[in-house]
Amino acid sequence: MTSLSVQNQQPFSIDNIPILSVKEFEDSLREGLQTQARMIGLFGLETTESTTTVIAVLSHSATSAIHLLGTTFSPANNQYHSFADVYPQTNYFECELAESHQIIPEGHPWLRPVRKQTVILDHQPYALYKMKGEEIHEVAVGPIHAGVIEPGHFRFQCHGELVYHLEIILGYQHRGIEKLLHNATPSQQHILCESITGDTVIGHSMAYALAVEALSNASVSLRIQVLRALAEELERVAMHLTGLGGIANDVGYAIGSASYGRLRTLVINSTALICGSRFGRGFIVPGGLQFDPIDDAIEVLKRNLHVVQHDVQVINEVMFGSTSVLGRLDHTGTVEKEWAQSIGMVGPAARASGIDLDTRSQFPYGAYKYIHLPLITLSSCDVFARARMRSLEVDESLRFIFDQLENLPSGSIQSEINAIRPNSGVVSLTEGWRGEIAHCAFTDSKGTWKRYKIKDPSFHNWYGLSLALRNEAISDFPLCNKSFDLSYSGHDL
Amino acid sequence: MQGDPIVRDVHHAALPPLFRGMPELHPEKCPDGCKECANICPTSAIQIHPLQIDIGLCVFCPACEQSCPEKAIHFTNEYHISCSSRNQLIVAGTQGRITPEFAAKKIRDYFGRSLKLRQISAGGCNGCELELNATSNVNFDMGRFGIEFVASPRHADGVVITGPLTKAMAQATELCFDAVPAPKIIILVGACAISGGIFKNSPEIDRTFLTLHIIDLYIPGCPPHPLTFITGILDWLGRKV
Repeated sequence: MTSLSVQNQQPFSIDNIPILSVKEFEDSLREGLQTQARMIGLFGLETTESTTTVIAVLSHSATSAIHLLGTTFSPANNQYHSFADVYPQTNYFECELAESHQIIPEGHPWLRPVRKQTVILDHQPYALYKMKGEEIHEVAVGPIHAGVIEPGHFRFQCHGELVYHLEIILGYQHRGIEKLLHNATPSQQHILCESITGDTVIGHSMAYALAVEALSNASVSLRIQVLRALAEELERVAMHLTGLGGIANDVGYAIGSASYGRLRTLVINSTALICGSRFGRGFIVPGGLQFDPIDDAIEVLKRNLHVVQHDVQVINEVMFGSTSVLGRLDHTGTVEKEWAQSIGMVGPAARASGIDLDTRSQFPYGAYKYIHLPLITLSSCDVFARARMRSLEVDESLRFIFDQLENLPSGSIQSEINAIRPNSGVVSLTEGWRGEIAHCAFTDSKGTWKRYKIKDPSFHNWYGLSLALRNEAISDFPLCNKSFDLSYSGHDL
Repeated sequence: MQGDPIVRDVHHAALPPLFRGMPELHPEKCPDGCKECANICPTSAIQIHPLQIDIGLCVFCPACEQSCPEKAIHFTNEYHISCSSRNQLIVAGTQGRITPEFAAKKIRDYFGRSLKLRQISAGGCNGCELELNATSNVNFDMGRFGIEFVASPRHADGVVITGPLTKAMAQATELCFDAVPAPKIIILVGACAISGGIFKNSPEIDRTFLTLHIIDLYIPGCPPHPLTFITGILDWLGRKV
């Protein structure tokens, strides 16, 4: 395949991305998709009056390579052959490109809006999928839900209790983050990236910081890298405990929900000990960290985490040993491996469907280049697997944190940030607690952002939730939803 | 194995020393012509001459405190910062904490012992939502004061709004508030809801709803600590706990 091949966080000159004819672009991309590459971006890089340059980004876990290639479209010539009929993983990316640039994938199986529900795609307003039949009925939920959660609209096509199809309509959280980033000062960019989704502050601010550092040839101390990884694992532990508490709550298992909730508080309070924010806000900035944890804080952190490690063990045994809990989790919301793979699922949800995929081991960055975490997969592909996966990851992350706390490297927590390279780009991948986060950053001739494209792991996985609901009882929707635990704001941007 | 995780005295909890709550300002320390803090502030929440911070706009990042050459700004871990009027959010000196004025007698009579709230996330990043959820966990247990989140606006005495109010949520927000029976209150939680925060200049937001209704309570923070929310409501309702 004709492409520019780079590593995670390796800066490149934009001129080195091959800009092909539409035909060559299609052939090359198809060749890449055939070799198990995954699409992680398909977006407009720049638009002039007569042309739009589109960049496709593929990642190849087996070789840790990231491939970039481009083509140009014009208003008169704004079509290409869709890949989605053969490679469903590109489906949503093609919709996104159509929505933002009116570039139409010919033969796309199901062109639908991503964030702007009123957008006109391919000359027709979008009508929600609807089944017909005497006993078919439709259930509409949202955008405002019963719990204290973000807004999204869910449309179920049901036959009695049974769900035939779930369509998920998002975009209610769209705040225009990517556009705001283009004209923002460095301190604003940092806050915007922390606010992409407030439950993955570390994951996104890390991807942003690493992108900026790559483009300014900054090198950061080992202490910075280890403390960042520590914060990321703390975030993972905290959010996995939140999710497990939610799952316990959704099956009516009160002791589980109370216990995971209590332990999660201990974890996020420990994060606040280090940086003043329970969600790690203000900790990671380009060039380093804004807080250097003092020894006393580290001691309390260790003490807290020992409590968490011990008590999590106990509550895990109780919860995953309870037949009434397992009866609700087993064989619920199954997404078979082939399906998960074909739609490009990522993160713990993908690993719970047996897919070997973890940015920390396959596209290592920061401290994960030197210190490895085991890549765990499960094979039952259901709510149980997704819940169990999260509890296993909590164990591994805690082990990682304790190991690092034993001998934290010394060194500075801030390094100089040089000027950002003009006319360059970088793809910055990190493994947030939901899975692969991708920030694709491109600069103009002055070294300011020409395009800053963000992809949250939820962008892939919402479709997984739709599939999980097929042939499932509608009453199991909250449980399936919680087992994926996806982000609305990260998707909507 | 549960231990005793509950924060029994919600007014005297010890938050971590680094927690950024009520700011303390020392304008007398400011060198002539220095604008470091105002220049670096991501949401332009700081004004110089006289030095003041709008904590309804502030995202409680450490940028101003860290950039100040004279340590004229310091965020204390005081979490009593909720208030009932927008002006109270402009902090100028070292006032220690903010106490909301009492709600009207009718509101205190109606909701003083039982307040049910419907939450609306209108562009919230899930930071405020997580902290609002935390108010109901075993640590903070807001339910013991008769304050709870409910599933339907029909069951609610008011709405709690998070997020900068996106265009896509403008209509749903209005419809939800209409569905709450009167008398009803509006509580804004977090910098985004109070002022737009980091998104205040986004073309994708529509804050018309807020100009049409009276706001009863402001809970600042990014996100606000669960205790800021709980103590803010208790103080506003004149509840002694």
